[in-house]
Amino acid sequence: MSHLMEVDKGENLEFNWGKKRGVGGNKKEVQFYESFTYDGVDYMLHDCVYMYKEGEPEPYIGKLIKIWENADKTKKVKVHWFFHPSEILNYFGDKEALQNEIFLASGEGVGVANVNPLEAIAGKCNVICISRDSRNPQPSEQELEMADYIFYRTFDVKHHTISDRMNDKVAGLEVKFIFNRKESEQTGNVPKLDSDKKAEAVACNQTLPLSGENPTVEFKAARTDGIANDLMETRSEDVKGLLVERKFLPGGKPVSSAALDSDAVATTSGQQGTIPGVKTDSNKREPEKSKLRDCRVVVKDKAKFTSDSDTSDRKSAKKSMAGMKALGTTSAPSERKLKLGFGKDILESDKGVKSGIDAGALEDRPSKKPRIDSSVKPEKKKNDGVQKLSINSDGNNADLAVTLTVGEKTKPEATFLGPDKDRKQRTDEKMIKFSNGKLLKVSAQDSPSEDIKTEGDGFEVTRRPDVERSKWFRPLPWEERMKSAHEQGTLVHLSNLDPEYTSGEVEDIIWNAFKENCTARMVQRTAISNRHSGQAFIILKTQAAAERIIKELEDRCLMLPNGSPIVGRSAPPLFQEKKSTFVGHLCIDKIKQQTQREMREAVSTSHCSQPNTIEYEMAMEWCLLQSRSERWWKQLYKQHGVELRKLKANLKLK
Amino acid sequence: MDSAEEKYAAFEETVNRTVYVDNLSPLVTEAVLKTAFNQFGNVEKVEFIANFTQLRSTSRCALVEMQNPKQAKQIVEEMSNLPFMMSGMPRPVRVLAAEKEMFEDRPRKPGRKITCRWLDQDDPDFQIAQKLKHLAKKHAAEASFLLKQQLAEEEKLANQQAETLKANYKKYEMMDAVLFDGTAKSLANHYDMKGFKPS
Repeated sequence: MSHLMEVDKGENLEFNWGKKRGVGGNKKEVQFYESFTYDGVDYMLHDCVYMYKEGEPEPYIGKLIKIWENADKTKKVKVHWFFHPSEILNYFGDKEALQNEIFLASGEGVGVANVNPLEAIAGKCNVICISRDSRNPQPSEQELEMADYIFYRTFDVKHHTISDRMNDKVAGLEVKFIFNRKESEQTGNVPKLDSDKKAEAVACNQTLPLSGENPTVEFKAARTDGIANDLMETRSEDVKGLLVERKFLPGGKPVSSAALDSDAVATTSGQQGTIPGVKTDSNKREPEKSKLRDCRVVVKDKAKFTSDSDTSDRKSAKKSMAGMKALGTTSAPSERKLKLGFGKDILESDKGVKSGIDAGALEDRPSKKPRIDSSVKPEKKKNDGVQKLSINSDGNNADLAVTLTVGEKTKPEATFLGPDKDRKQRTDEKMIKFSNGKLLKVSAQDSPSEDIKTEGDGFEVTRRPDVERSKWFRPLPWEERMKSAHEQGTLVHLSNLDPEYTSGEVEDIIWNAFKENCTARMVQRTAISNRHSGQAFIILKTQAAAERIIKELEDRCLMLPNGSPIVGRSAPPLFQEKKSTFVGHLCIDKIKQQTQREMREAVSTSHCSQPNTIEYEMAMEWCLLQSRSERWWKQLYKQHGVELRKLKANLKLK
Repeated sequence: MDSAEEKYAAFEETVNRTVYVDNLSPLVTEAVLKTAFNQFGNVEKVEFIANFTQLRSTSRCALVEMQNPKQAKQIVEEMSNLPFMMSGMPRPVRVLAAEKEMFEDRPRKPGRKITCRWLDQDDPDFQIAQKLKHLAKKHAAEASFLLKQQLAEEEKLANQQAETLKANYKKYEMMDAVLFDGTAKSLANHYDMKGFKPS
C-alpha cells in the first residue's frame, strides 16, 4: 500500500530541473539552477510565486532570487518577499494603497528574504511594476489588466517607512530584476498560467462524481461532458485510479480487469441519467459549497493544496482584473491632468522667456524709447501735448509760456514745437549720462531735472542695481533696525500700496521714483488687515532723503498700476506706548497664590474644551464675539471697496 | 526664469500646508505651538507674525507649517467645530487657512510688471488722486476706530466672565464651608431630618 501511495505522489508531483547555472558549497556539491518545472508549471529565476501557508487568508508573494539542490537531493529556493497592505497597515500614515497593490521589502532585517523548501511553492503570480522610473519598461494596458498584483513602492523593514524610490540595489537585489521584463518575455509566460489554471479547475471537477455523497453535485460534473476529447483520457485515468483505491481498502480482495471496465461504463450511464434534471438557483448555490467541501475532503497531498489555492487564486485574479479595469479608467484622467499641467508649465515658461526677452530689448535700446513716446503722444492727445509743452516752458522759460498763452492756439504751432521737445530730451539724456559718472552730490543736484523729465510720463519699474548693496555686514534683525531708524528719522511709513507687492518690489519702486536706495518691508497680513491696500516700512540712508520723499508724496501723486496713489508719512511712535494686558484668560486669585511655585514648573496643555462645562460655555461666548467682530470687519471693508471703486471710476489715466 | 517659476510654485505649495493662528496669549511660545499642533499632525515650522502697526492689540499671530495640505485642512475644520485653548482658558484660539500676503519672505510673482506715473497739479486726474489719498487716510482711521471698539468689547466680555467665575467660586466655597463647620448638621437636627450624613 505504501508503495502504491508513493507511486501516486510521484505521478502527481511532477518535477524536472531546467537550465543549470553553477555549483557552489565547500565541496562543490551544491548545484544552482535557473529554471525548473514543478507540477506542470515552468518557473524561471526572478519569477514571482505564491507561497501557501495553511490557515492564512492570503498566500504570501515572493520573488525567486536563488534556486539550488543540495547534496542530499533536497531542493531549496531563496525568496525576496512582498508585503500585502494588510500586513503593514500600522505604518501607512497618510498614504493609501492602490487596489491590488503590494510593497517590495527593502532594508535590513527580518522579513526581506529567506530560504524555503522548493515544495512550498503554490503557483505562479503575475506581478507588474508600475513605477515611472526610466529604468522600468512601462507596462501596456493589456498587461495591467491581466496582472494579479501591482507595485511601485518599497517598505523598509528596519525603519518601517514606505518609499517610492528604487536604488540600484534593493536588499542586494539588482534593480533590473525588480522592474518588469521585456515585453517578449512577459507575454510568453501569461498564456501558460491561464491554461494551467483551467486544467487544474477541470481536474478538480472531474473528481466530484466519484464521491457519490451529494447527487446535486453531479449537475456540475455533467457540464464537463462537453469538454474536448483530449481531457477524456485524463478523466478515465482518474476514474481507474480512484476505483483501485476504493476496492483495495476494505479487505484487499483481488480485482479483475473486466470488473474495472464494467464499473466505468456504469458510471458513465449514471451521468447520462442526470443530464435532463432541473437547474435552480438554490441548486447552483449548494453545489458551490459542497464543491469546496469535497475538494477539501478528497485532498490529502500537498499537490491538492496547490489546486485548492489555484482555485482561490483564479477568483482573486478575476477580482483583480475588474479592479485593474476600474484603476485604468481612473488613472487615465489623472494622466490627462498631468499632461494639461505640463502644457501649462510650458506656457508659463514661454511667458517667462518672453518677459526676459522684453527686458533685454528694453535694456538694449534705452535711448530709442523716449523718441517713440514723444512722437506718439502729441498725436494721440493734442490737448495734453499743449499743456505738457506749457509745463515744460514754465519750468525753463517764462517768456515763451506767456507768448504761448497769449498768442495763437493752432495745430501747426503744436506740431512745430514737437521737434523742440525732442531736442530738449536729447539734451537731458546727455546730461543724465554725464551726471552718472559723477559723485552722489552731483546726482542729487540733477534730480530736479529728472523730475522734469518724468512729468506726465509713466515709467516702468525695473530692478534696482545690486552693486551699491553692502555685502560686508549682516543686516540686524528688522525690529532693531526699525527702532534705530525711527530714532534717526530715516523711517517712512507707506500705505495704499497693492497688497500683493513684495518687499523687493517696494524697494524697486522707491529706486525708480526717487533714485534712493532703501530697505523695505511689507507689513504682513493678519485676519483684520485691509484687503484693498497694503502697508510697508522703508528705511532710507539719510533723514533728508526721508523728508524729501514724504514731501513729494504729499505734494504730488505717485500712481500705481491699480490706480492708487501712494500715501507716505513719517512712522508713528512704535515702542513708546504702554502695552495692555491680553484679556480673556481667567484664573482664581486664591489658587493662583497657592500654586505659584507649581505654576512655574507646570507644562502647559492645549486642548479642545468639552461641552457641558463652564469653560465651554465661556468659550462659546468668545466664539460668538469673534463671529460678530468678523462681521464688523467684513462690512467695513466692503463699504471701503465701494467707495474706492466709485472714486477710481473717475480716473482718466492711460 | 525657470528657477523663479519653481521657487514660486514651491512657495504656493508651502502656503497650502500652512495655517494662520491668532488670539494667542503672550505666554505662547514656539515650543507650545509645536506641541499643540503636533496633536493633529507633524509640524514643520512655526513663525510668529510681527505687529508693527496695531499698537493696541497684544494678541499674537503665528503661521504654523504642517507636513501636508491634508493636515492643515483638517486642523482648520476641527478648530471651527470645537474651541481649542492654549496656555489659558477660556478664550479659544482661531485658526484660518494661510494666505500668500501673510508671508514676509515671499518671492515676487513671476512676470509681473509695475508701471508708475507722477501726477502734478495741472493734471486732470490730480484732484481725484488727492481725493483717493484722503479716502485712504479716512479708511485707515475707520479701521483703527473699529479695532478700538473690538478691543473694548473683548475687555467687557472678559470682565463679565471674571465676575461670573468669582460668583461661581464663592458659591461652591460657601457650600463647602456650610458642610464643613457643622451648620448643615445643626439645621438638620433642628428640623428633625433623619439620615443626613455630611460625609
